[in-house]
Amino acid sequence: MLEIKGLHKNYKVGKDIVKAVDNVSFGVEKGDSIMIFGHSGSGKTTLLSIIGGLTKPDSGTVRYGDTELWSLTDNDLSEFRNRRINFIFQFSSLIPTLTVLENVILPTAFNKAADKHRGIDAKDLLFMVGLQDKLGAYPSQLSGGQQRRAAIARAFINNPEIILADEPTGDLDEETEAEMLALFRKMNVENGITFLIVTPNTDIAGQCNKHFVMNRGILTPRDMG
Amino acid sequence: MSFSLSTLAYKNIRRKFFRSMAISAAVMVVAATLFSVTTVMDSVETSLTRGTRRLGADVMVVPANSESKAMASLLAGEPSTFYMDRGIEEKIRKIEGVKKVAGQLYLKTSRYKCCDTGDMFIVGFEPEHDFTIAPWLAEALKKPLAPKEAIMGRSITAYIPGSSFQIYSELITVVGMLEATGMPFIDNALYLPIESFRGMVETTDNGTVNVFDKLNNEISTILVQTDPAYAPRRVAIFIESQIEGVKAIVSEDVAASVRKQLFMLLRSILSISVILWIMSILLISVVFSMIVNERQRELGLLRALGAKRTDIFKLIISEAAVLSMAGGVIGIGIGGLFLYLFREPIKAALNVPYMWPQPINLVLLVLICLFLSFLTGTLAALYPAVKSMRMEPYAAIRGGE
Ligand SMILES: Nc1ncnc2c1ncn2[C@@H]1O[C@H](COP(=O)(O)OP(=O)(O)OP(=O)(O)O)[C@@H](O)[C@H]1O
Ligand SMILES: [Mg+2]
Repeated sequence: MLEIKGLHKNYKVGKDIVKAVDNVSFGVEKGDSIMIFGHSGSGKTTLLSIIGGLTKPDSGTVRYGDTELWSLTDNDLSEFRNRRINFIFQFSSLIPTLTVLENVILPTAFNKAADKHRGIDAKDLLFMVGLQDKLGAYPSQLSGGQQRRAAIARAFINNPEIILADEPTGDLDEETEAEMLALFRKMNVENGITFLIVTPNTDIAGQCNKHFVMNRGILTPRDMG
Repeated sequence: MSFSLSTLAYKNIRRKFFRSMAISAAVMVVAATLFSVTTVMDSVETSLTRGTRRLGADVMVVPANSESKAMASLLAGEPSTFYMDRGIEEKIRKIEGVKKVAGQLYLKTSRYKCCDTGDMFIVGFEPEHDFTIAPWLAEALKKPLAPKEAIMGRSITAYIPGSSFQIYSELITVVGMLEATGMPFIDNALYLPIESFRGMVETTDNGTVNVFDKLNNEISTILVQTDPAYAPRRVAIFIESQIEGVKAIVSEDVAASVRKQLFMLLRSILSISVILWIMSILLISVVFSMIVNERQRELGLLRALGAKRTDIFKLIISEAAVLSMAGGVIGIGIGGLFLYLFREPIKAALNVPYMWPQPINLVLLVLICLFLSFLTGTLAALYPAVKSMRMEPYAAIRGGE
């Protein structure tokens, strides 16, 4: 369902050129659960951003089925993000002025289509991440882990084909992390949602069916047995 | 369950309440000044053009040495008395370009000397020649005005139609009322046929004097309607060159000169408020640049979740528009309240027959000021809005870290 070919992305930092993403190619099948791990600064977030339509690659293609992502108009790209992709960001990504519930339903505000509520109900999602008591709370009233869980709940609201998760369990304790990973697995198996998970360590290797290592912008497959 | 961008805009406004208030306040000040100044200008304009038209005369002939007194009477309705020979009226009738001529005789009442109400402006007119008073009768009279019958201006509160009052030895009955004209000269005066003065007896220390005898051959103002084929200014020149000792005031010129003086003053106030306006646009623009920078990361996140460029633009512009419209509405309210509360001092300061603009003009002014307020916010937020709508989502998210 997703074909990535020859992605390059360089950043100019002063006189140096940083090869953040260097000739990355790989394929993703529907229902895959893919893990990418690598050190800090290896280019993981940059790669996810290109695949998610947030930053344009210098060269290369990102093809979802018949759709070449980076040849879409900006409007179509926005709509694509809204309907078919969702993100879990590395850092806190809740809108501070909105309540937890409003943050979760936020993506539906950009969807004018009739089937905008085709996903799981926002309250059910918040129940699944254990925030059913915090619907009306503001992000500033939540702990870091609770904010993260709200962001995870939001990732499912539009019933996306693929979730691009950037260190999604970074600030969770072990128990909560296990719960969230179980939720991912359930969504993966029951709803057929594809996951692309970036992580600095190999903890979640067990629940992923494909594994990659990223190093200085270069992505290589890794057999995790 | 659904959620819309306007909710987000509304919550953003509430988030920084003080800052939002400050933006509204800036627009409010501009709207208040703009609205009150333009309203006053419009009022002056309408009251001058309408007022001089309402006086009904194209040329007003007065004694040469009484021009300023006459102007004060005609424009501001200040009771004053000045006289010239009544024979002039017939001479004017024969002058080229003159169509209608009507004389008026002015009297100012005094409580001690003559009458039961003081400082009343009494105008004796010639019903058979008159072309300026009768058109303003609220209801046509059942029969022609007889001597000792009066018509009252709308602003007189001491009498109502049917009541009587004393001038010297005569009892005068009010039989009709004029419509409100906005011209103090018309609204504040009592009109009675010149003939009513006949037989009036003034009792003085030296015995009694027949008032009409004294005024028999006097007239205060001669109102002239010119032949449409002649420019009033030309007719005025004919009059002054053929008759000694008179001043022929052209109505149009009165309005023009008053307008020129007042507008010089008002225009400088207006230019100050225009400068104020531009400054507040710049100020709000700076504040909005700050707001947008502060929210860069949020805006990037919205883009990631599917917001289109136009959504981002709308979000920022609507926030600005709401704040400036609120400021505009309050500002117009305050401006209007100011005009209402200080209407008397304003009238006095401008010394013109001031009145509110016509309803349609007032509505128009309100709409224009509202639109300018709306423009203030949207113009100010335009650059920040365009800038943030053009940002790459990833750069925005990173930039805000
Ligand atoms: N906008 C940018 N401008 C300049 N350099 C950038 C930019 N974005 C990323 N980089 C550089 O590209 C490289 C990859 O960054 P990236 O954020 O993708 O790494 P990462 O693998 O996600 O790291 P981490 O695990 O710390 O999140 C880094 O060296 C970073 O400094
Ligand atoms: Mg990263």
